[in-house]
Amino acid sequence: MNLTTYSTDPAGLQAFYEAIISAHDTYAPVEKFGKFDFTRVDSLSTCNTDSPIPKTMSVKPLFFPKSAKVMKYKATSEGTELTDTEEDPLAGKRVVLGVRHCDARSLQVLDAVYKWDYVDTDYGKRRENTILISTRCNEASTHCFCTSLDYDVEQLDAFDVAVINGLDEKVYLQARTEKGETFLKENATGLAVANGSAQEEMKKQFEKFASSFRLKMDYTEINEKMQGQFDSPEFEDVSSNCVSCNTCAFVCPTCHCFKISDEKLRDEGVRYKSYDSCNNVYFTLMAGGHNPRPVKYRRWRQRAMHKFVYYKERFGVNLCIGCGKCTTSCPVNISIFEVVNKVAK
Amino acid sequence: MNYTKQIQDIAGRLFSEEKIDVFIGYRNTGFDENQVPVLINQYKDVDQLLFTDKSVFNLANYLKYEHTRNKRVGLVVKGCDSRALNLMLTENQVKREKLFIVGIACEGVVDETGGKAQNCVECVMPDAVVFDEMLGTPSGKRDYQENSDIRALDGKSLTGRQEYFEEVFENCIRCNACRHSCPLCYCSNCCIDQETATLYHGANTTSSAFHALMTWSLHLAGRCVDCRNCEKACPSHLPLHLLHKQNEKVIYENFQEHLAGMIQDDRGAFYKYSLSDPDDFIM
Repeated sequence: MNLTTYSTDPAGLQAFYEAIISAHDTYAPVEKFGKFDFTRVDSLSTCNTDSPIPKTMSVKPLFFPKSAKVMKYKATSEGTELTDTEEDPLAGKRVVLGVRHCDARSLQVLDAVYKWDYVDTDYGKRRENTILISTRCNEASTHCFCTSLDYDVEQLDAFDVAVINGLDEKVYLQARTEKGETFLKENATGLAVANGSAQEEMKKQFEKFASSFRLKMDYTEINEKMQGQFDSPEFEDVSSNCVSCNTCAFVCPTCHCFKISDEKLRDEGVRYKSYDSCNNVYFTLMAGGHNPRPVKYRRWRQRAMHKFVYYKERFGVNLCIGCGKCTTSCPVNISIFEVVNKVAK
Repeated sequence: MNYTKQIQDIAGRLFSEEKIDVFIGYRNTGFDENQVPVLINQYKDVDQLLFTDKSVFNLANYLKYEHTRNKRVGLVVKGCDSRALNLMLTENQVKREKLFIVGIACEGVVDETGGKAQNCVECVMPDAVVFDEMLGTPSGKRDYQENSDIRALDGKSLTGRQEYFEEVFENCIRCNACRHSCPLCYCSNCCIDQETATLYHGANTTSSAFHALMTWSLHLAGRCVDCRNCEKACPSHLPLHLLHKQNEKVIYENFQEHLAGMIQDDRGAFYKYSLSDPDDFIM
């Protein structure tokens, strides 16, 4: 597989984006109530392809929406009638602009669970029909720690095209998958194949970006030490100011728990699949009333252990991608980075 | 406004005299200028405590969680927080004798932009109304001001308002951060969590968000103290204060200028039953 790198200037990148928007079904971060959401766009002026990580909701809803119809049902005298819902609005061919590397990585992590014992065909179709164009950050945000986790941020192949704003005022577009290579070839009008110095320039940009991180840790150490910490008293301490809402899980790009609920009227209804969270007290409530996680620290323990121990054991990757969205969105700013580092001490 | 020293002294004194088991205050996040709530269990941690104009979160919220249940609690309250606490006392959620309340004569906290928060500009009661010890000089009750956003909304047409609120509810992700951050949402079994209640039906649709948020705001009508914990907690940055301020305005105008939590044992406009009520129906 031979992957090409193209180069252009910032104005060329804008033209490239505009051409994509006019030719394809395009999604990009659009500002709503002071935060950015991935929404379908018709022109570049309505979106911000460089939206800051802490203020941008993850790309997860485009693949795993906050609420999706599963089926319709109707009870008749002959029995129960089940029908598929109307066509999946997210299944068509589309391009997503302005995804961050960490956000794209989350989809790679989620693929493991969605292709596991039950293959989620809706998710698979949405993934297959999407071209991800990901912009590399120039600077880390306060809660970012992606470079401290188990993936190579510089050479990541979780998206199809990487957009890198070089320090030499040039913009480099690099295909990272075969899908991206073909896409760039078809849409490369106005882009030139980059010359020899491109690799060096991209490396320089990455080094500058990598040196801007406030948070650094050794994930192997965390993975190892967390294993024996199930009974750690630290969990009680770190969760003491948690308010038990579901925000961290709902904004998390990798959290994938869901619940099934019905919207029904008499004999017919629609079944929905919606987000759920282990921080919710009802999450483990069983028929009969027993709840194995009735207190906050047990729910927090599940959250931290699932991200850094259980998922790693089962699928070989961490369930945290270090974007810091949970910390920024948390009403009391509980930092998953601080939690795991305190527990793994 | 900086009461760091005084609060550390009070908390230290309470722990050494063994008058409390836990103290709820604020500490630095350690990574930026903002502050987060902290629950302290021992004397040696009191130097974490601080109080400035960035001490935003309403700490009365923690009285509903297991870390303070059946414990003697010390906590810091500003004017709005103390009104919420007053209501929790009135509604028998906490026992007064279990609390040591450090009241603040508040000068207003800051919002994200660094300016004075909107609810502080419009605040009617900056001083704590219930306290064991008061810090600062009380400035007294102020005149009620109509919220500027509500006034701006009133100028819009009915369809304009409908469109606006449809967008609000569409952006709700049903994380319930608003409810969990509200000190007055203390029900252990909330009606909007009931899977059998088809109105809310658990799915994150616009219609379920509408019903959940409207029910929530009506349960807080006549009780909301405008601390804006809900709005600051919302990850979607939704203007939740609009729901509460509209209720507050209607109640203020129609129920003898009633404001929630100002007087101890006052049950609020919608929760009072009196034989001497001049109206011939019960709300």
